[in-house]
Amino acid sequence: MATNSFENHAWADVVPDDLLQIYSHYQRETFVGPKPALILIDLYNLAYRGGPVPPISLMDRYPSSCGIYAHNAIEPTKKLIGAARAAGIPIFYCTSDRRPFAAPTGVGATRRQKSSNAISHDDDFEIFADFAPQEGDVVIRKQRASIFQGTPLISHLNLLGVQSLIVCGESTSGCVRASCVDGYSNGFHVSLVEECTFDRHELVHKMNLFDLHHKYADVMKVNDVIAHLEAGDQARLAAE
Amino acid sequence: MTERIWDKFLTERDKTVLAAAGFGALADWGKRPALIIIDVNYAFCDEKPMPILESIKKWRTSCGEDAWEAMPVLQKLIWLCRDKGIPVIYTTGTRRADNWDSGSWSWKSKRRAEAPVLDADGRDGNTIVDEIAPGPQDIVVLKQKPSGFAGTPLASYLQLLGCDSLIVTGTTTSGCVRATVLDAFSLNFRCTVVEDGCFDRTQASHAINLFDMHAKYANVRPSEEVVEYIKSLPSGMFELPSGAGVQTRMAAE
Repeated sequence: MATNSFENHAWADVVPDDLLQIYSHYQRETFVGPKPALILIDLYNLAYRGGPVPPISLMDRYPSSCGIYAHNAIEPTKKLIGAARAAGIPIFYCTSDRRPFAAPTGVGATRRQKSSNAISHDDDFEIFADFAPQEGDVVIRKQRASIFQGTPLISHLNLLGVQSLIVCGESTSGCVRASCVDGYSNGFHVSLVEECTFDRHELVHKMNLFDLHHKYADVMKVNDVIAHLEAGDQARLAAE
Repeated sequence: MTERIWDKFLTERDKTVLAAAGFGALADWGKRPALIIIDVNYAFCDEKPMPILESIKKWRTSCGEDAWEAMPVLQKLIWLCRDKGIPVIYTTGTRRADNWDSGSWSWKSKRRAEAPVLDADGRDGNTIVDEIAPGPQDIVVLKQKPSGFAGTPLASYLQLLGCDSLIVTGTTTSGCVRATVLDAFSLNFRCTVVEDGCFDRTQASHAINLFDMHAKYANVRPSEEVVEYIKSLPSGMFELPSGAGVQTRMAAE
């Protein structure tokens, strides 16, 4: 059990003491950076298919679903988006680019093989209705794991003067990780919201959060991020 | 409007079309610029001012005397930006000793294999000229292709510094300057091109590329105006490199 707040996150029950010791040099204050944008990674219908059940029971019909983990994240994600809207920060979604003639065969976010029993629907890659994009939001269509790869995201962020990112979504080990690393590599401070980020298996989720937190991003509790956005909003309102 | 350097190359039809189509408006300058000096190295300038036809015998990419006419302009802008704490970013080329990574460059030049060095001390052509040598707090981006952004960390540095715009100088106007301006434009950075701080091997290319950039991608302005703009900016806006431990050949002012 970790004893300091830096390590007091989802991975605390799986990370052994010697690993914590080796990684002690990464300990630092975590925060939301200046001029943030909210980046919602792959919150499309396919991730929620089959309902709030363990993903192993969905692997045949809905191999892309995160099941219970996706559904557990719905309420905190709604709160986070609400706080971002109230604070007036830019909101970017992304989803898979499924447009015809968009990519050659074999282009995808992962190397996973197709499942013959998988069920598909026309609206698989529409944003989940609870988080439906609103006027002024931006939806980025991407072909690979990272929201930056082959997309105009950086141009948009520059236009808006964004300097840091608040990231959440799925999957922790795939598109969230790739997007956080690219965000970091492109010079942005990245905050990753723990309760709003998920994967298909807890161990993979926890270890990827652990890696990202130590090396590239500040994993933060949703309430801390919301409190920061609300404080910023109050300060902005007070200044007006 | 006063005559621009490109006017004498335009036909009457060009001028009419340009006015009617609404190009060439003066855009906002931006609030947090970086000064970019593209490829002002010995390969493009020669070791001293020489008539271009003489100069290109040794340095096939030399722009001859035009490079040295721009040098005082560059010095003035560089000193002013250093004084204001505005980022000063240089680009220059980098190459393996065996030239394998010259890649597409070798497809269009018959003299690609040549690799002359400085008479005085054997430094290579990618060395930035001593008259404007980078200082300890300046940033040098090494590149292999025309654009300062292609395959380099330039965009991430601008992000980290919080820049919203570039003041672009250097060479060649038609090649690396234009490519860098175009990529900056595509990334939504505002661009100012310093007319007398850029140079090229061919006068027509220089003028028409300035014309194109001013029409579509950038404000092309004389250095006096850029100097006034820089002077109007607050000091100390940026967290620049500390420069600790950085060796330089920066000349004393």
